[in-house]
Amino acid sequence: MPLSQISEVDKVSDQFEPKIVLFACNWCTYAAMDLAGTSRMKYPPNFRVIRLMCSGRVDPQFILEAFRDGADGVLVAGCHPGDCHYMEGNYKALRRMILLRRILESLGIEKERLRLEWISAGEAVKFVKAAHEMVGQIKALGPLQLSAQVKV
Amino acid sequence: MTEEPRVGVFVCHCGLNIAGTIDVKKVVEYAKTVPNVADAKEYVFMCSAPGQDLIKEDVKKFHLNRVVVASCSPSMHEPTFRACIAETGLNRYVLEMANIREQCSWVYLDKQKATEAAKDLIRMAVAKARLLEPLEELRVSLEPTSLVLGGGVAGLKACLDLAERGYRLHLIEKLPTLGGNAARLGKLAHVDIRGTEVAGSLISAVVSNPNVTVHVNSELIGLEGSVGAFRAKIRTTPRFVDEKCTLCGECFHVCPIEVPDEYEFGLSKRKAIYLPFKEAYPRIPVIDPEICTQCRECVKVCEPGAIVLDQEGQVVEVVAGAITIATGFQPYEPPEGEYGYKRSEKVLTLFQLERLLDKNGPTGGELKLGESTPRSIAFIMCVGSLVTTKNAHTYCSRMCCASSLKNMLTIKERYPDTEIYAIYKDIRTYGRGDEELYEKTTESLVKFIRFETPPDVKPHSDRVDIEVYDATLQENYLFQVDAVVLSVGMSPSADLDKVRAVVKTGCSPEGFLREAHLKLRPVEAPTDGVFLAGSVTSPKNIIESVMAGGASAAKAAALFAKKEVRIDPITAEVTEEICSGCAICIAMCPYGAISRKEKGEKKVAQVDKALCKACGACVAACPSGAMQQAGFKDIQVMAQVAALSDKRGG
Repeated sequence: MPLSQISEVDKVSDQFEPKIVLFACNWCTYAAMDLAGTSRMKYPPNFRVIRLMCSGRVDPQFILEAFRDGADGVLVAGCHPGDCHYMEGNYKALRRMILLRRILESLGIEKERLRLEWISAGEAVKFVKAAHEMVGQIKALGPLQLSAQVKV
Repeated sequence: MTEEPRVGVFVCHCGLNIAGTIDVKKVVEYAKTVPNVADAKEYVFMCSAPGQDLIKEDVKKFHLNRVVVASCSPSMHEPTFRACIAETGLNRYVLEMANIREQCSWVYLDKQKATEAAKDLIRMAVAKARLLEPLEELRVSLEPTSLVLGGGVAGLKACLDLAERGYRLHLIEKLPTLGGNAARLGKLAHVDIRGTEVAGSLISAVVSNPNVTVHVNSELIGLEGSVGAFRAKIRTTPRFVDEKCTLCGECFHVCPIEVPDEYEFGLSKRKAIYLPFKEAYPRIPVIDPEICTQCRECVKVCEPGAIVLDQEGQVVEVVAGAITIATGFQPYEPPEGEYGYKRSEKVLTLFQLERLLDKNGPTGGELKLGESTPRSIAFIMCVGSLVTTKNAHTYCSRMCCASSLKNMLTIKERYPDTEIYAIYKDIRTYGRGDEELYEKTTESLVKFIRFETPPDVKPHSDRVDIEVYDATLQENYLFQVDAVVLSVGMSPSADLDKVRAVVKTGCSPEGFLREAHLKLRPVEAPTDGVFLAGSVTSPKNIIESVMAGGASAAKAAALFAKKEVRIDPITAEVTEEICSGCAICIAMCPYGAISRKEKGEKKVAQVDKALCKACGACVAACPSGAMQQAGFKDIQVMAQVAALSDKRGG
């Protein structure tokens, strides 16, 4: 997307700016985001990054806590299948996310608010694309409305 | 650290890289209001000498005990700022960085929103920093001794290169002789040397080196510890024959038990007491306890009294700083009936052909099947490779093309009237001189037939019928030959699972061992201090195996040269009081770093920090929160998450 267009997108979406917590694997996605930065690529200003050593470290309670603390979306991003720095942490993350999505739905949280991406250290473009997509998707869903019961 | 956290926040302008987008003044004013922040400062280049001095002065002046630097990516300057705070006497690990350049000012266009994002990132970093604890790097001293598993060419080369550098070695070979698969090969391609001689020259160099202890007939049955100090248990099966043996050969004659000789790939028979092959090392016969009936006939004829039937096996324990796995491959074994295999003596494998053509083989180098010399031979290539059959591997074994071509030429040289067909799926002569070998074969009038559908092979008592559709000429051929050679590829060694059960390390979908990095760390296992050499990782020819052996020795020597290993302290750790010993974490760990120990009435998990690579998978899986990762504890990450919104309504 050319720069002029992106700034237009950013300008018109003034009303609702979602907060998206991003759990990034130190070895792949965190490095891809650094690369996006050094390449001066642009994406919407909605991400709050938490660096972990592996997507396999992402405890489902981190994600539930994020939704409770004001996140409108959560992105978990790790190495491609077969490429995990720790051999198989990303598979562990995948299994946990599949189960967690079911719990989220039972809590009234749309499953689209939790996204899992495989982004290697070189795939800055893939990250930027995923970032645009996810922000668009969360904006379409609107702010997360948690019932008072869940919030406590 | 029980004292109240006093966090210092240092926001970098990075010239205009950060300050051009983010309103640094506003961010610093905001940071001052965040709970537990005792001091917040800005500077144009925080990583510069005056910037670092500012941090050092403020740590003293404001009695800071945690530091947050909001600047570039930690991959850029985390080591810089860790060293900086260490100079003030603070622990290196009470630093948290907020990446407001790569992941904020450089990627966000809207200045106001970028400033808000920076505030959030700093608030989250402070929340985590409040809970950071001092950590100490673990240092493990290295025992400069290495274990090498496998006495084939790769293992021998690994052993020799380390021994010549002055390190001590234990070479462990499960068979009663060194040499591996290469020692069973006849004349090699491109050189006038036999495989046995190549292996033999390595063997004599290794066994004459005083740094090497050779354990043949032995297996690694236990392994504990980690890089620097593995504790290994080696079990040696008795040989029942000692050094007094003069190799007179009387015992072989009187032994009544006969079985197919595995060293000749079943082409001849051996006795229960036997010498594996003429050039075996050690050159002492061995009794096969599986088939020996203890009839004592051999004892009666042994003049020097070298046979000791009540000899006992032994288990020795050694400490080694590193391990090299070089347990090699085994030839692909076609299922009975595949291309007529095992249904007729006229169908043999490439490895059997090697033995037949070798001067020390069962026929003394004569190409004889039973009584007759075949006048026409068809080589069927890619057997067990390239998905040619249901049981075949997906991969190409790389060595079988050149090896088949070499043998075709040998036959043409010795028996010029032999008609030879090469029925192939693909010819891959990638190695040095191999393409020339291929050209020479075509000049020697070997007939090449390319197949897409594997040929139909029907052995009869006097001939073998072959039907094949030539995919190039698009014609069907039906012809007869006197013998068929199956150019089989390489399979992972059948004992590899046993090795993996002891040295915990991952394998590829094909069943070979997996490297730490396919391209950048090809002779290292993912576990520190474990190296891989030869065809244990993928099919390799002798040249490549010897190179991998040498490379693994270089890696082990580089490790030993360090004298000690330093371990990043962000490893997993157990709170034993909470741990219920459920062992879920053990299954999660890809490095086998977690085990269980007795603690009073219960069992609890324990982490070998030298094995832990700090992925945190066990922590995420622990149902009780007993397992935690230093620097990424649940409470630390949860605090970071909880600080996503400013709870004071900001």
